[in-house]
Amino acid sequence: MLVHLQGPWSPWFGRLTLGDIPYTNPVIIFAFLFTVVAGIALAVPVLYYRKLGYIFREWLCSVDHKKIGVMYIILGLVMMFRGFIDGMMIRTQQVTADGPHSPGFLSAQHGYLPPAHFDQIYSSHGTLMIIFAVGPILTGLGNIIVPLQIGARDMAFPRMNAISLWLSVSGAMLIMASLFIGDFSTAGWVGLIPLTELPYSPSVGVDYWMWALQISSIGTTLNAINIITTIIAMRAPGMRWDRLPIFTWTTLSTNIIGLTAFPILGVALALLGADRYLGTHFFTGGQGGNLMLYTDLFWIWGHPEVYFLVLPAFGIISEIIPTFSEKPLFGYTTMVAATFAIAGVAWAVWLHHFFTMGAGPWVNTFFSVATMLVGIPTGVKVFNWILTMYRGRITYTTPMLWSVSAILMLLIGGLTGIMLANPAINYTVHNSVFVIAHFHCMVLLIAFAIFAAIIYWFPKVFGFRLDEHSSKRFFIFFVLGTVTVFTAMFALGFMGETRRLDYLYDPQWLPLLIVEEIGIVFYCISVGYFFRMLYVSIRDRGRNQCGADPWGTARTLEFLTHSPVPFYNFAVTPHVNALDELAWRRANGHADTPPDHYEPVHMPNSSMIPVIIGVLSFGFGFGMVWRIWWMAGFSLLAIIALIILGSFMPDPGYTISPEEMREMEAQHRAPGIMADSHPPHPAAEERLV
Amino acid sequence: MTDAHHHAATDPLAHPEVQQASAAAYISAYVLTVGLLGVGLFMTERHLVTPHSLIPVIAAFAIFLLVAQSLLFLGLDVSHSNIWKTVSLMLTVPLFILSIGLTVWMFHSLDHLVMSPEMPGMSLQPGTLQ
Amino acid sequence: MSAPKSTAGGAVQLWEYQPKPHDPVSTKTLGFWLYMLSDALIFAGLFAAYGVLDQPMNAAGGPTAMQVVHPVAAFWQTLAVLTSVLAYSLATVALKAGSRAGVALGILAAMALGLVFLGLELNDFVTLFAMGATPERSGFLSVFFVLIASHGLHMAFGLLWMLVMLVQIMRFGFTTEVVTRLLSLRLFWQFQASVWVCVYVFVYLKGIVP
Repeated sequence: MLVHLQGPWSPWFGRLTLGDIPYTNPVIIFAFLFTVVAGIALAVPVLYYRKLGYIFREWLCSVDHKKIGVMYIILGLVMMFRGFIDGMMIRTQQVTADGPHSPGFLSAQHGYLPPAHFDQIYSSHGTLMIIFAVGPILTGLGNIIVPLQIGARDMAFPRMNAISLWLSVSGAMLIMASLFIGDFSTAGWVGLIPLTELPYSPSVGVDYWMWALQISSIGTTLNAINIITTIIAMRAPGMRWDRLPIFTWTTLSTNIIGLTAFPILGVALALLGADRYLGTHFFTGGQGGNLMLYTDLFWIWGHPEVYFLVLPAFGIISEIIPTFSEKPLFGYTTMVAATFAIAGVAWAVWLHHFFTMGAGPWVNTFFSVATMLVGIPTGVKVFNWILTMYRGRITYTTPMLWSVSAILMLLIGGLTGIMLANPAINYTVHNSVFVIAHFHCMVLLIAFAIFAAIIYWFPKVFGFRLDEHSSKRFFIFFVLGTVTVFTAMFALGFMGETRRLDYLYDPQWLPLLIVEEIGIVFYCISVGYFFRMLYVSIRDRGRNQCGADPWGTARTLEFLTHSPVPFYNFAVTPHVNALDELAWRRANGHADTPPDHYEPVHMPNSSMIPVIIGVLSFGFGFGMVWRIWWMAGFSLLAIIALIILGSFMPDPGYTISPEEMREMEAQHRAPGIMADSHPPHPAAEERLV
Repeated sequence: MTDAHHHAATDPLAHPEVQQASAAAYISAYVLTVGLLGVGLFMTERHLVTPHSLIPVIAAFAIFLLVAQSLLFLGLDVSHSNIWKTVSLMLTVPLFILSIGLTVWMFHSLDHLVMSPEMPGMSLQPGTLQ
Repeated sequence: MSAPKSTAGGAVQLWEYQPKPHDPVSTKTLGFWLYMLSDALIFAGLFAAYGVLDQPMNAAGGPTAMQVVHPVAAFWQTLAVLTSVLAYSLATVALKAGSRAGVALGILAAMALGLVFLGLELNDFVTLFAMGATPERSGFLSVFFVLIASHGLHMAFGLLWMLVMLVQIMRFGFTTEVVTRLLSLRLFWQFQASVWVCVYVFVYLKGIVP
């Protein structure tokens, strides 16, 4: 059954040999040194301040939805940084490799990256940005905000929540490993078939890509189960469906997609894996395989995945615009309906990613019309946001600036999307960078919303505001970079530049490529301001401390409890009386009415099991990639054994007594997210497992 | 999870999902499934109807059985403890139909256009077992 | 621009000091049910692949469905899996009465029949392999074996779960956790019957339709 591979294989190390470590490639050595320096920069203060135990106990073993959310967001930002560097390298390669007379550096004939290396970079750029940057950040936001918005103390399944996180981390670590051990896929983030088949990609690159996606997508599915159950079963009293905050609605719809679409990705990757490991013929050219079947299965997931990412972004914009317009959201009901309409239509549009397959006019027409239909609910949303701002008392804080720009990005990305939905146009611009510019507008609108959300909810989670001065500069340069790069890219698409080129043959493209490179410089400046924003904000955190509602005009339940949010979320479960509960309480003079007494509160214990499962799933993935069967087998069996073992040790949780609660609340020393969150309960410390 | 503690004191066996177990429902689901699959087998083996109409008939059997099993085996209803299971299933069924149906349709259309048997090299006949 | 109106008359309630406890059993079975819907879509993907690859050209000159499926023999598998599901379902009827012996007996019967099912399937695979009909032979056989083996893998996983539950029933009795797991396992096991109906009709019966 097992495919016989060419090349060395040993029982202990599988395909792994010393030669697989690319220590001769200067670009990778630089990346390696960079990672090492960053690692040391993080490890030294941790060791110096003796925080290793704290990090392990309070973060790695935590089942607190806010900490898990923060870790998701940190993972996403780190991956986004790496993805950004990849993007920078792609642009720099193209601007230096235009025309037959372009110079070659290092070992490249044109530019500074040889084709195989360039191909790995665009593959990892896409994979990282979509799966490991934007995805985890939005999941993290949902994790933090949704339980707070519905007045719950935690997710429905706190331990499984941690398992989801560590599976995502383990997938991301596999991609990081591919940078320094072996290589990465050269077949794009979509896994271009039949290039991903063993005869054409015999190295471990495709396996890294495949297992990283597979493992993290299991994490996404588990998280979707958790969020949906939480929203259905854990809402505070009075939180009826017609009072559910819009971000919670969008997170619900997005996780319905997460629950139902990711299994299809799992099937596509598993069948590809069967081809690569067992020698089956699902997607091979000969022997009765059908390579378009892979493309079909991939995009059955791939298109809903796009909405999986964009819907929470819509939710974020819908939260921020009312807050800073000091008005309720215009058209709440239509907003919810539009959200679910988009999520529903998402399932009938996937063929527009391969109109040129040749499935015939009827098929193309069906998918073209379905795709254009998406424009209707999206248009409803845009008008709702604009009408929310109309005659509002608008404050241009940074979250608001990001949100308004996101609407403009949605307009550009959406209208070019409607163009691409027309098969006749699609046949012309298919595979050109026009398509790239279109979907970057869409993904960047999500990024805009993400930055809006991080700045908007950061004070809620950490108790101090981010520095507005540098965050506005971060915003300006980021938007400037986006406009510069992608306006030029739309034009280059019309001029005939196709995707994924490591060498560009037409010297006439050079001026616009230089414009794109200037945009990259703007992006780099904006990244600098991002780090400055973090630095200044943390330095001045004492000055920027904030109360329960840092913005003064927030409307939803999460701004009712303290900032930073204590580990028990709400000392007493709130009773919800209206849509936009906080705005209602403020209008009726109840905003500062505290509970008059406390009741015992029951909380789940931390657990070591999730992080161990994460480590083992990395072991499984690494073992499968290098075909180290003992390692993969051991890890898989250990995961199953751990889950069974865990089921024999149900978590009794612990109880915060009313006295403890009164003390914490009265002295305003409710522990924030950075403090030791364990209650003064001696028994809780020992029950990590 | 949070408030599970207080609830754990009550008898889990009194939970409606335990109490809805019904031998009669399970046995009827069993008899229906075995019976209808048996009839399907009989019809197929004996070629009782033309191949063209047989596929819709056995497909209808399958759909009928899936509905029957959802009601009798899985015990789906609109009671307080089951309503969300029913709703989520109703939301998932269209996704089934879309993902399988549209896939089969587009590949049927594709094969018709680009894999026509009249085209050169397309006359490959299925062989027999060695 | 009107502010939200207060509830008409009476004191407003801002805090819920004694919230009605969430139902831990239904919350967990709902979570498990959602997992199963997700699992069902794995089968949707596999059936879609089967629908595409079940064409004469995908047999690549090798055996077609007509030559590898035997619906009459597979009917014994149908009987085994359905009777196993019935046995487990009757175990949950015994659970209603709180009978530990009844539940254990039902689970043991379900396990025995599940093993019979897997034995028959394995035997079928061995026969086909011996005839040279292996997954590597053609695209059609790839999807045929992977679809059937995926269902078989679910069955094997269910058997392991039942073994664990037998131990937990003996050790803990009918605690909330154990009862919740028994209910989730009921959903899982009955779901296998539903998948098998699709496999039997769309692979075995349809396979011999000319």
